[in-house]
Amino acid sequence: MARGVMLMSGGIDSPVALHYLLRQGHEMVAVHMDNRPFTDDSPLAKVVDHLAMLRDRYHQPIPLYLLPHGPTQITLMRSTDRHFGCVLCRRFMWRSAERIAVREGATFLATGEALGQVASQTLSNMRSATASVQLPIVRPLIGFDKQEIERVAKSIGTYAISTRPGVCCQAVPDKPATRSNLVQILKEEERVDVDTMIDDCVRKAVIL
Amino acid sequence: MYRRLRLCSNRGGYEAIAEPAHPIDLVGAKARFEAVGIPVIDARVMLIAHLDSEVTISRAGRLLFKTQDPRLAERTFERLRSILELPAMEDAPSAGPASG
Repeated sequence: MARGVMLMSGGIDSPVALHYLLRQGHEMVAVHMDNRPFTDDSPLAKVVDHLAMLRDRYHQPIPLYLLPHGPTQITLMRSTDRHFGCVLCRRFMWRSAERIAVREGATFLATGEALGQVASQTLSNMRSATASVQLPIVRPLIGFDKQEIERVAKSIGTYAISTRPGVCCQAVPDKPATRSNLVQILKEEERVDVDTMIDDCVRKAVIL
Repeated sequence: MYRRLRLCSNRGGYEAIAEPAHPIDLVGAKARFEAVGIPVIDARVMLIAHLDSEVTISRAGRLLFKTQDPRLAERTFERLRSILELPAMEDAPSAGPASG
């Protein structure tokens, strides 16, 4: 079995995806991108509780890396086209998670993405986002619909945690682009110092 | 006029929306906050200010109060209103018929 890094948001999907990978026997590390001040403490609290439940179920330590993503969001909002906010955000998340994967000796990245649920999850935007990393990305829920994911979340006990009250991420643009191409995205990234932003984010990571 | 506060879709905070729309000049708003010593984060398309509760202010005039306490959200709105000269919030529905 392999060692992988899972992006955990606090939502319904990511703990379900993690559950499938753990059930297969992979050793997993969790990464949560901390979007404060654009959200409140609830996403982190949910991730902590999701992991407590899954650690207990699968008897794995599942270290959690908390990465400060708020400063990145502020820089992106100030400097880039808001329509591409979701794709740009995800590119930073992937690259930060890849750095953690290298540190942890992990050989793949993973996410709870399913196709087409939100703006960042169209094929076009997924392609633009994941072009930023080298490691393979595993998506255990890619073919699931929302109802199926919710059913599994309820059966493993993570649904109640995921649906606790919380503030929606305010960094999401009002009109996110549902299509993008790499040329457009790279042009936006030229407006910011990508490497320094990722270095800062990863350097300030906290292990919980 | 701002509509009465309502829980946001994820139930973690209260939002206030003006009808008709009341766009807010964020540059001017930031200056007002700083003039009275209120910490504010400037993300260009929105401000996040630390008043009684933390509040996100969008250019479109939408306000999101990061608290589940409606009274704290209302207090924060009133303070925000005085600093930024915002329209009033609509009155609460009356509890019952007037006496006398």
